[in-house]
Amino acid sequence: MSHIALQDIAKSFGPVRVLDGCSVAVDKGTVMTLLGPSGCGKTTLLRTLAGFVEPDSGRVVVGGRDITDLPPNRRQVGYVFQSYALFPHLDVAANVAYGLRVRRVSQAETQARVRKALDLVSLSAYADRYPARLSGGQQQRVAIARALVLEPEVLLLDEPFNALDAKLRLSMQIELRKLIERVGITSIFVTHDQQEAMTLSDRVAVMRAGRIEQVGAPIDIYDRPRTAYVAAFIGRANVLPVDIRGGRVAPDPAIAAARADGAAWLVVRPENLAIENAGEGPGWHGTVAFATPQGATIEYEIAVGMAEPLRVVALRKVGEPPAAVGSPVRVRAVDPAACVVLGEGPDSV
Amino acid sequence: MTKNLAPIDRIGRVVLGVVAAFSLLLLVAPSLIVVAISFEPRGFIAFPPSGFSLRWYEHVFANRQLTDSVVVSLWVSLAVAGITLALGVPAAFASVRGTFAGKAAANAFLLAPQMMPGMVIGIASLFFGAYFAFRASNAMLILALSVFCLPFVIRIAMARLAGLDPRLDEASANLGAGKLETFVRVTLPQLGPALVAAAAFTFIEAFDNVTVALFTSDVRGRPLPVELYYLVQYDSTPAIAAISALEIGLSFAIMLVLARTVGLERLGR
Repeated sequence: MSHIALQDIAKSFGPVRVLDGCSVAVDKGTVMTLLGPSGCGKTTLLRTLAGFVEPDSGRVVVGGRDITDLPPNRRQVGYVFQSYALFPHLDVAANVAYGLRVRRVSQAETQARVRKALDLVSLSAYADRYPARLSGGQQQRVAIARALVLEPEVLLLDEPFNALDAKLRLSMQIELRKLIERVGITSIFVTHDQQEAMTLSDRVAVMRAGRIEQVGAPIDIYDRPRTAYVAAFIGRANVLPVDIRGGRVAPDPAIAAARADGAAWLVVRPENLAIENAGEGPGWHGTVAFATPQGATIEYEIAVGMAEPLRVVALRKVGEPPAAVGSPVRVRAVDPAACVVLGEGPDSV
Repeated sequence: MTKNLAPIDRIGRVVLGVVAAFSLLLLVAPSLIVVAISFEPRGFIAFPPSGFSLRWYEHVFANRQLTDSVVVSLWVSLAVAGITLALGVPAAFASVRGTFAGKAAANAFLLAPQMMPGMVIGIASLFFGAYFAFRASNAMLILALSVFCLPFVIRIAMARLAGLDPRLDEASANLGAGKLETFVRVTLPQLGPALVAAAAFTFIEAFDNVTVALFTSDVRGRPLPVELYYLVQYDSTPAIAAISALEIGLSFAIMLVLARTVGLERLGR
């Protein structure tokens, strides 16, 4: 039985349908990421779980209890805001103690629990600082400590790394992942950064226009995208129009397709394509349009007479010059089994 | 720094400095002159004063009519500050956080008294009172001054409220606090300095307002500004200067307290 279940959540703001029947289930102690571009409804879904947004329809169930109609202050759901929303008039210790004071926890117990929570995020030395005098990363840790000190059933984090600079971001992501594993709390992240989703989560739910497009382990989604949209959002992908003939993809019959003959779409990652010498044979025939040596790899754009050039990432040997622009080449899939054939292309909604 | 400037810029700087210094002098000089005059030992207004005496201060404190009017003014100003805070803060909340039809119109209406000359409000209150057979009285003065001062309070509270992150309220709710507790623990502490500033402004404004008070105050028990107005007409002695000096001192003291507690830069908003 899943620990968190969002069932068929729908929400409109005026004429805009922000959530269009979203269902997500998260197992106890795991980390789920809601991934999607801005405006896809991921933050609204998270806010629904915290009770800041009342859904038009659907149920919110946490630990087997239906909390759809509970006001936010009666839910056991910790929330870390994108801006952290620390109370500027309270110092770090008082920020962390806030929830305990509201619950009328005794002075002695409050002090002990605040100290423990600050230890957990390594901020004990900053207990009497005010938020304005903390760095972004420290503020984030205060926000997390403030939520965790109440021992909530669930921890929700809305784009927690957005306000941090790129360098700090990666180390904080790893720190946070360790912290969550230590505490063992069921968590949901919201992000638009697929790299972040890969680093942080056990499972990813890719969202699009108020709906869940695909849910799965990050690497499974990368390997087996169910739609062209997901393929393009997680990592980079070539999405090519192809013909299916006799259960094989026409330009490269090494790729099997378990579907009827006719038009289809092929998803193939750039690193799964290889450049071969021109000449007769299966594969896509074209010319090198652009080559960028990037150290360990060379990135090619190959014009093959389609709207988009094929993107190919090839391993580079030291001293090897890239293929000359304009030279004719043939492109084939390295591992035919790693290609995905879809019925619908990138433009269909 | 200055040695790299072109001659024309250097002249510009000097001119700017002179103009600024002169303007500052014009602002401060009258107050200083009044304070100086208040120490004049003789029975008429003269500058520079011919000596130093506290005679007119004694005179002021011995004058029952004057001390009474100070008491009236203090009470009236306190009442006005209290009423405008009680009405202005909820109004500011509604106009910043509220979502209702006609919000823009309501905002314009609330701030309108600020655009109106005090004299208009005074005369309007007088006619209004006459129509409903209310006598000009302290109650009416308080009412009219409250109308006059309400926009100040609403403005200051609105400016502060608009700067507050609504996420803080959500964070407070998420941590278990109800609406009232959130207001007391989160909103009020951050609004506090602005409210102190608003109260001080209103108090000072109500304390020295003549234009509204002239038309609405009681004939007996007049507030200080009106009392002074009549005093100046019939009895022009350094006593006027002594009262003025005391008022300057009071304003100065309030500003000093505010600067130490709230910070003066916040008052301007």
